[in-house]
Amino acid sequence: MSDSSLEGALALLADLRTDDASMAEPFARLLPVTGSAVSTVGDLLGSETLAASDPMAAEIDELQFDLGEGPSWDAALRSRPVLTRDLPGALALWPVFAPAAVSRGVRSIFAFPLAIGPLRFGAVDLYSTTPLELDERDRDVAALLAGRVARRVLHRALAAVAAPDEATTSPFSRRIVQQATGMVLAQLDISAEDAKLVIQGHAYANGQTMMEVAERLVERRLRFTRTGTGIEERS
Amino acid sequence: MIQRETEMLQTFARLADTLVDDFDVLDLMQTLVEACTDLLPVTAAGILLVADDGRLELAASTSEANRIVESMQLSAEAGPCIESFSTGRIVSVPSIAEVPVAWSAFRDSALAQGFTTAHAIPMRLRQTTIGTLNLMNVASEPLGPEAIMAGKALADVATIGILQERALRESGALSAQLQTALDSRVVIEQAKGVVAQTHDVTIERAFEIIRSYARQHRSSLGDVARAVVERRLAIPR
Repeated sequence: MSDSSLEGALALLADLRTDDASMAEPFARLLPVTGSAVSTVGDLLGSETLAASDPMAAEIDELQFDLGEGPSWDAALRSRPVLTRDLPGALALWPVFAPAAVSRGVRSIFAFPLAIGPLRFGAVDLYSTTPLELDERDRDVAALLAGRVARRVLHRALAAVAAPDEATTSPFSRRIVQQATGMVLAQLDISAEDAKLVIQGHAYANGQTMMEVAERLVERRLRFTRTGTGIEERS
Repeated sequence: MIQRETEMLQTFARLADTLVDDFDVLDLMQTLVEACTDLLPVTAAGILLVADDGRLELAASTSEANRIVESMQLSAEAGPCIESFSTGRIVSVPSIAEVPVAWSAFRDSALAQGFTTAHAIPMRLRQTTIGTLNLMNVASEPLGPEAIMAGKALADVATIGILQERALRESGALSAQLQTALDSRVVIEQAKGVVAQTHDVTIERAFEIIRSYARQHRSSLGDVARAVVERRLAIPR
């Protein structure tokens, strides 16, 4: 795999004009896996498969949703990669899902979380029909691609549900949101763009406006951390 | 009075000095509002510039306390600022408690901050008005004519500077130029948040830290703010 193909894939994922259905393909192309699927998992954005590189990848994803267990759930909820080189030898991990996946020919399965700051909302599933180990470089590539996909998915989802009042918000509330964005980017050591997504996502998850969340941040009644649940509330 | 006049002349010289080469519009604004509170008997001063969408947005203020900023912004929605901007005239409010009902949001916010009088001076050169200079006071008496004229002169220098910069750069529409200045404000707000977090200080204090760092290092506010937000610069505590 060349660096230029990775760069190209990252650029393509960052380009919101491209089709979301093509989000899974770079994983299958740049990593030695058989197939890949991208899905949202959990309360924030609901549970749904957004893209799959092949029908089998889509089926493995659906199976996990139906059964309520599997590497996607674990990766998304713990915000940590799940690496299962030998699935037939690890049936106990997911007592219902694992045998079902093995019976479909899956030998290795991996999942990388879709998360930004404390927001955890999905996972990328990678499967192989032959036993496979992802080396360190593979894992880095997968995490890098997953990070780009996460931003894209959250951005798209929030744009679709953005509260109408955000567009007409006053210059004053915009200032507060910008100040809160600065606080969050320092709290989580992320970019300003991601910090804004975190505020927006948190607002959406709690049925609040961005201004309400921003005020709580500026008044220090709310802060995000990089450990634990990632959210501290003080009232 | 001689001393005041000397200070005034020094301020004009400093403003003129800001207008060389590659000057930063926001730095000019900040110098101007600080000159107003240094030289005139006013408690707080702010400059609002017209944004892309035709609304007035705060570009510089002597106090970055959010509640004071809110008062000024409300004045730009329905209050002396917007009236001054749309008529191109100086609007004096000798008693904030007695303003028309339509301005009640501004009135309540300003009174809550302890302000009793307000003056809005248009930033205008011939037919072009680019914003207003807003002076707020806790004194019982409104500003005298001399102080208002001095404020007007300061506002004029800044206005000419901004319009002049545009002529020099031929950077197209005035509205785009003003919007660019307001856009740098976004980064400054974010930088205030970063410093408030990293230094564990108020938003208001965070601005002072950024401002004094920029001065000490002869950088523009915008450049320092950008470096802070991109985490290229950690201002020492």
